[in-house]
Amino acid sequence: MSTLTEARRDVVPIPETPSPARRRRADRRRPGERARIWSGAIVCALFLLPLLWMLLTSFKQQRDIFTVPPTIFFDPTLAQYIDAFSRGDLGPKLVNTVIVALGAGLVSLVAGAMAGYALSRLNIRGAGVIGALILASRGVPPIALAVPMFLVARTLGIMDTHITLILAYCSFVIPYVMWLTRGFFLALPKELEEAAMLDGCSKMGAFFRIIVPISAPGLISTFIFSVILAWEELLFALVLTNRDATTVPVAIAGMAGDTETGANWGALAAAGMVTVIPVVILALVVQKWLIRGLADGAMKG
Amino acid sequence: MLPATVLLVAVLAYPLLYTVQISLSEFDLATFAPADWTGLDNYTAALANESFQNSLVVTAVYLVLALPLQIVLGFGIAYLMNAEWRGRGVVRALFLIPMVVAPVVSGGIWKMILDPLWGGVSWFLGLFGLPPIDWFGDATMSMISIVLIDTWRSVPFVALIASAALLSLPSDLFEAAKVDGANWWQTMRSVSLPLLAPIIAATFVVRWLGAVKMFDVILATTNGGPGEATNVVNLFIYQQAFRLLKFSESSAMAVIVLVITMILTFVFLSVSKKLEDRL
Repeated sequence: MSTLTEARRDVVPIPETPSPARRRRADRRRPGERARIWSGAIVCALFLLPLLWMLLTSFKQQRDIFTVPPTIFFDPTLAQYIDAFSRGDLGPKLVNTVIVALGAGLVSLVAGAMAGYALSRLNIRGAGVIGALILASRGVPPIALAVPMFLVARTLGIMDTHITLILAYCSFVIPYVMWLTRGFFLALPKELEEAAMLDGCSKMGAFFRIIVPISAPGLISTFIFSVILAWEELLFALVLTNRDATTVPVAIAGMAGDTETGANWGALAAAGMVTVIPVVILALVVQKWLIRGLADGAMKG
Repeated sequence: MLPATVLLVAVLAYPLLYTVQISLSEFDLATFAPADWTGLDNYTAALANESFQNSLVVTAVYLVLALPLQIVLGFGIAYLMNAEWRGRGVVRALFLIPMVVAPVVSGGIWKMILDPLWGGVSWFLGLFGLPPIDWFGDATMSMISIVLIDTWRSVPFVALIASAALLSLPSDLFEAAKVDGANWWQTMRSVSLPLLAPIIAATFVVRWLGAVKMFDVILATTNGGPGEATNVVNLFIYQQAFRLLKFSESSAMAVIVLVITMILTFVFLSVSKKLEDRL
């Protein structure tokens, strides 16, 4: 079992708990350190202020939004949310976003993890070249893909459908999943599958019965990260949908881009909160892996 | 390997080749397909297009302003947050939130806050007797605003990587420096920075890959304006293709951007690799 726990430890990043010696020293803090703590906390608070602003705005009545100085105490109301869902038609768009994000995450996880495994284990000639190509694909500007995707989808008559958007999102989520999972799998000892195969497992069997369960935490967080990537995508959604499959980011772009008045602020804030809250919850759940995941993409280039 | 290959060929390789094909031909809007080959005509037209040149310059200005600022701030904040204390885990988790806010939403939030009449920032400046700033009104200010918004979104990410990096620094080197009587600046220059150089370079590459795709924030705030002051290249190509239906020219522009991005990414990657190998 010891190899197993060791393998797991490899997947978990960034040591968090301070050593006992350090903790003891922290009790007799020098003034410099105290200043650092305070300034760190203040910087963090500053970064959260805009989100607090959006949160408050989303619960304000129209007349409270446009007051100077901005009110902090007001009669909270759900009017903006109701407005966003009824007049702004946010409900169906939210459903679309959920379908597309989960779909893209799932397809990319299955296809990407298998490919990531292949890259980490099989001694294919040119595995290095493939790795470099995957990394290079992260530099491809989405606009270079949007034009042909739009034309092809139009020709095939699959514009404005969930499946088209899911496929479009695979173009950037799969390479990401491949890169991340390759890292996880490289960290696992080869002996694990070798033992399984000696016991009569096929190569595929070894992958699904040994490797996948061991790397489950990593795979789950990879999935969540993929969903986040697809959840907030704007360009492809803008180009490939117009009514039936439109996502929330498109709706928000519409509200924010409406430059005539600030009248849309309440609905904009409400729609913003609806997009932000699920992602924040997911991100906090997987924060340790998230950081590593974000970093890994290029760190191991 | 197979499913991923098939999908990637379908959604990545094929569209890219199709873009190249469109860029080399005349686009027939009647059939909505590329028609006659025109060779490099679209490319010469794209390169001669002043608005396209402007969008490249705007993108470069934004990158040159934003990336170093974000790296410096990110590492600085990581240094601040590096102190040991009980609340650090919570602060770090909260600090993570701006970076998972969808770019288009962060554009929306900031558009509200920076509003010269009703926004919080104007009110705050007013407390000190300062006049409200028209953040999106003139060319310089709107670029500053874009950089500011992008920095808000990205600095937490840089700071988190940086704090992981700072934790992994070997402490004995710092103690040795202290024993030798090095002051803060000397330690920084001859111990910290050289040790951190590979990670700074790698962080730069990740941020670069994200920043060259800048689109959502600008669409939600300035929409490229005023005039063409914040019309980054992605937005410009988008407008050419989907507002003006100039598919051939926009494809040529996309290919040009792709080539420039690839070359620069390759250069940055090899520099960061070199820095890594040096250790």
